[in-house]
Amino acid sequence: MSFLGRALAILRKDLQAEWRTKERLSPMVFFVLLVLLVFNFSFELGGAALHEIGPGVLWSAYVFASLLGLGRSFADERENDALDALLLAPGDRGAVYLGKMLGNLIFLLAIELLSLPFFILFFNLSPGFFLVPLLGIFLLGSACLASVGTLFAAMSNNMRLRELLLPLLLLPMILPALISCIEATALILANGRFEKLLPHLQMLGVYAVVFTVLSLMLFEYAIEE
Amino acid sequence: MRSTSFSYLIFATMLIALGAIFLWVPTEQEMGIIQRIFYFHVPSAICAFIAFFLVFVGSVQYLRTREDKWDRLALCAAELGVVFGLIVLISGPLWAKPVWGVYWRWEPRLTSMLITFTIYAAYLMVRDYGAHSTQAPRLGAVFGILAFVNVPLVYYSVDLWAADQQLHPPRNVELAPAMLYTKWICYAAFFLLLLRLLAQRMELARIETAVARLRQKLSDEV
Repeated sequence: MSFLGRALAILRKDLQAEWRTKERLSPMVFFVLLVLLVFNFSFELGGAALHEIGPGVLWSAYVFASLLGLGRSFADERENDALDALLLAPGDRGAVYLGKMLGNLIFLLAIELLSLPFFILFFNLSPGFFLVPLLGIFLLGSACLASVGTLFAAMSNNMRLRELLLPLLLLPMILPALISCIEATALILANGRFEKLLPHLQMLGVYAVVFTVLSLMLFEYAIEE
Repeated sequence: MRSTSFSYLIFATMLIALGAIFLWVPTEQEMGIIQRIFYFHVPSAICAFIAFFLVFVGSVQYLRTREDKWDRLALCAAELGVVFGLIVLISGPLWAKPVWGVYWRWEPRLTSMLITFTIYAAYLMVRDYGAHSTQAPRLGAVFGILAFVNVPLVYYSVDLWAADQQLHPPRNVELAPAMLYTKWICYAAFFLLLLRLLAQRMELARIETAVARLRQKLSDEV
């Protein structure tokens, strides 16, 4: 089986398992809803401050949700020692990373899309053209989160205090991407010009590519027994 | 002993640096006496980044060779980087309060330094609390590599975020000759201090490992 074939096989397995149980997706979407609810009491989401706080609230909710979801992506493999079996498969272990990373990417995108209606509702936005570029930011932002997030999930899977350490690892590392996600979302909501958006898109693209490639190279060291 | 004479050299350099800062260099016109904190602030920042680079070197080399000494370099350099980073983050606000009127502003240089500091603090947390002793070096090395690659991205993105807020003095301020000489003496003093602390800490780490192994061996025999 080729490298890509093996990655896609793992991806298919993860998607199939998720499709049958939905044990990650529905709790996460509900979690985003709850975070928005909590933020509402701090900021009055429907008010005039939408452009200042809206993007930050949205991405904070997504990052918190992703922390929970990413932690699960290797937890299932830990049960019944399934990870050992995955690692025994011949060939480059980067394929395991790529499969898991793509799975997390699709998973994060699904959470974002499913919870977007709540955001639109709570912020009193009217759906319109802004949704198209916003989806692009979602895609890039999720790729950034999934790139380092998957590697850190694999690392923290073996650690003591794993639930505690994943946020400690991921939050400071993801900040550069998060800043651009928030800024780009703010620009889109404010109908900003594309020239102003471009540097943020580049930033997110560079981040996602750099950390996906690095993680592919380093994954082997992160899970070695 | 070699390390003793090296310590004397550092001591002498530090005395000269202190003399230059507090007795010799003229007081800056606009900011007054508080500007002198610059001679501690800037060299600490440079030392912090040298240390972060050493974490990267140690991490890459550890994954390549699996020799403990490279892991010790990475771990000890990370500790020192965090300490020097802390000096930067403490001395900066002390300077800012009289000059800007506030201790902290969310402007690019401060924000970037703070984020970089938290990344390496997280590295130390992984090493101390997270990993079992057998895998700590390996997981630390993976994180040490990612962390260093992230530093330029942090600076770039924070600049994008708040480029218009820049109040921090730029890197290429023109200094009077006396100030320039003082600055270089301070660079030398801080750099030598970094090297000395690193050597000391790495030796301590080596002894720690040796003691842990001996203890293990003893308890196995009993």
